[in-house]
Parts: sequence; C-alpha cells; structure tokens
Amino acid sequence: MTRQDLTKLTAIFDHYPTDAGSLIGVLQDIQREFHYLPREAMTKTAETLGVPLSKVYSVATFYNAFSLTPRGDTIVRVCKGTACHIKGADLLLDQLESGLGIKPGETTEDMKYTLEVVNCVGACAMAPVMIVNNKYHGNVACNRALKLVKKD
Amino acid sequence: MVHITINGKVVKAAEGEMLLTVLKREGIDIPALCHHEAIEPTGNCRLCMVEISRAEWEGWKKHVTSCLYPVEDGLIVNTHTPEVIEIRKTIIDLQLANCPDSDVIQKMAEEYGIYKTSYETVPEGDNCIMCYACTRICEVLGKSAISAVMRGHKKVIAPPFGEEPPDCIGCLACAQICPTNVIPWTDTDSTRTIWKKTFDLITCTSCGKAVITKDFAEYLMAQRQIPKEYFETCDECKRMATARKMGEIVTKAQEAAL
Ligand code: FES
Repeated sequence: MTRQDLTKLTAIFDHYPTDAGSLIGVLQDIQREFHYLPREAMTKTAETLGVPLSKVYSVATFYNAFSLTPRGDTIVRVCKGTACHIKGADLLLDQLESGLGIKPGETTEDMKYTLEVVNCVGACAMAPVMIVNNKYHGNVACNRALKLVKKD
Repeated sequence: MVHITINGKVVKAAEGEMLLTVLKREGIDIPALCHHEAIEPTGNCRLCMVEISRAEWEGWKKHVTSCLYPVEDGLIVNTHTPEVIEIRKTIIDLQLANCPDSDVIQKMAEEYGIYKTSYETVPEGDNCIMCYACTRICEVLGKSAISAVMRGHKKVIAPPFGEEPPDCIGCLACAQICPTNVIPWTDTDSTRTIWKKTFDLITCTSCGKAVITKDFAEYLMAQRQIPKEYFETCDECKRMATARKMGEIVTKAQEAAL
C-alpha cells in the first residue's frame, strides 16, 4: 500500500471505536474507498481492532458487498431476479459480456468496468434492471445496455 | 437442584445444566456430533434432538436440541419417541448425503437402519459437517487461526487467504476435536504439518519421541506459566521417571524401617 492509501486507512480507523463491533463498518468504508478489500487493509484492520485475522477474512468472504479482488471504476450490475430473468436479463447480460469482453465477476484489463450479476434488487416493476455505479436503469433494451454503460 | 423426568424416570440435575449432559450421565444414548465439553454448545449438528414437555402444557410438546437446552424443574423429556427417531433419522440421512465417505456418519446411520442416503450426495464432499468445533476450540485456546470462509454451499473451514495461518501453533486441537476426522496433519520425527504450515517439534530428551511443537510449548509457557522443563520429556518418560522416584522413596523407607 502506498503512503496515501495508508493515510486513507488511518482516517477510516479513526472514525470507529477500536473493538470487534466496528469490523463490518470499517470493512464497508474500505470497500467504498478502494472498491475492494486490499489484503494489507484486512491485516491492518485485524491488528487495529484486535480481531483475529481469520474473523476478518471470514466476514470479508461472507458478504457479497465485499470484494477481495480489485474492481473497475464502473460497476455494472445486472439483476437476474425472477422478474428480470423473465424479462430477458440473460440477453442483456449476453450483450454486456460480449461488449465488455468479460464474464460476470470479472473486471476489464484497463480496470474500467466490472460486471456483476445480482439477485432481486427490489425494482421488479421496471424489469429488466441494470445498475451502473448505483444508478438504476429500468426497462433496459438489449441494444441500449452497452451505450448506457459507456455513457456513465 | 431441579427434578426432571426422563423417559418416565425422575432424575436430579443441577439448575442450568444442559439437558444433553444430564442424558449422558443417565447413560442414555443420544447421537451428538458437535457437542464437546471443552467448548460452548452451539447446536449445529441438530442430532441431539429430544422431545420436551411439562405437566401444565397439557400434552403439548416440542422438539429441542438437548445440548443447548438448560434443564428446569418439572421438565418431562422423552428421548426415543417415534417422532424423535424420525427426526433423528432425517438428520442422519442428510448428514450421510453430506458426508458419504465418513465412517463416523456411516456407523451412526447403520445404527438407525440407514444404509444409503435417500438424498442426492454432495459431489466432492469433504466430510465436514460444518459444526465449527474446530474453530470454536481454536478460539477457546485464544488463537482463532481458522474460520469459516465463503458462505452457502461454498463454505469451508480454512485459514485466512487459504495460506499458512499466521496464528496457528500446531496444537492439533482442531484435528482432534473434529467429529468426522477431516482435518489432515502429518508428523515426521522432527516436524509437524497442519493447514500447510510446518512446525518444528521438540523431541523428548530421553527417548527422542516428539513431544509438542515449539510454538505450542512457547505459547503454553507464556500463557499458562508452564515451566520449560515440562516440555523436555514426553509423557511416557515423565511417567517412568515418577515411577522410578516412587520406587526409590519406597526402598529408602523400607531400608530405614529395617
Ligand atoms: S450435539 Fe446438539 S446439535 Fe450437535
């Protein structure tokens, strides 16, 4: 980690009481800041909060909100919940996969895009739903998907 | 002191004691995999289910995991009703699907007349029943070197990052407590390997047999104030030395008496 990253990390730690109860909050902040949980950050979290490293790793791998590998600047999530599935989420995903050249869970080499599949996001009325960097797009037509992503 | 009725017999038990402990003391055979005296009960394996009721419940009853149920006065317990057996069979059947190669589960299943699971077996199962006995004992020891990683059907017990666990001291508590014996480890004359981490072993100064890993000995010296000499000889040689000393004392006493 660079000196700058370490400063960011310390700033995160300063926000929380140093005990096990802060674990998830700290990890969420790290995820937000770095777009993933760098290994060194997890080790530092364990040391700072006095939590065993195994616990930190356990929590980090349990929640889908945490990622252990670096992710792109733009995170594209395609909903594959029941409603979206019926309304053609598969086709949508196909378009994005071939357009970005990656499979769900992967990140483009230039670290620009990460593609993810999620389960129901609670917006079934506008299925199929695609979320680009936390912005929800409903009734997405296949041929529009890639454009929406690149525009963002 | 409380009084409870187990299969029609009134039994005394200490207040707050877990039901399974009482049942075991009474010599009743209840299958239980995740229970161990050294760790807090968690009710993960679900095998120790029994039926409980109370006089004032007017025939109403429920099924509970006995390892997690503190006894209370007036409890009526039935351990082998047809329903309980049916529940137990289902659980064993599921465990068998989960661990088709585990001899422990196979034996348990046979006792309940199950020779083949009626569910689809888990492909490439590792015989782990996810009872967390290993992680719990590691925590009790103050190490927490391993934990559950991932979730759902991908969940496994593993060290952080799947690498040598930095906190492991090679004590083997996890491997020994594991009810289905799935944590592998190997010893050579001078080293021990577990969770991909290799430890140096202290060997007995008189017979040369392995006594304990250096890391574990250091841990015990620091945490439990056990003197260094304690780890220099193995249990057997210690016993021999004590016997020899006793012999000397007796001979001396006899000589003095003459
Ligand atoms: S022994 Fe009670 S649930 Fe496993």
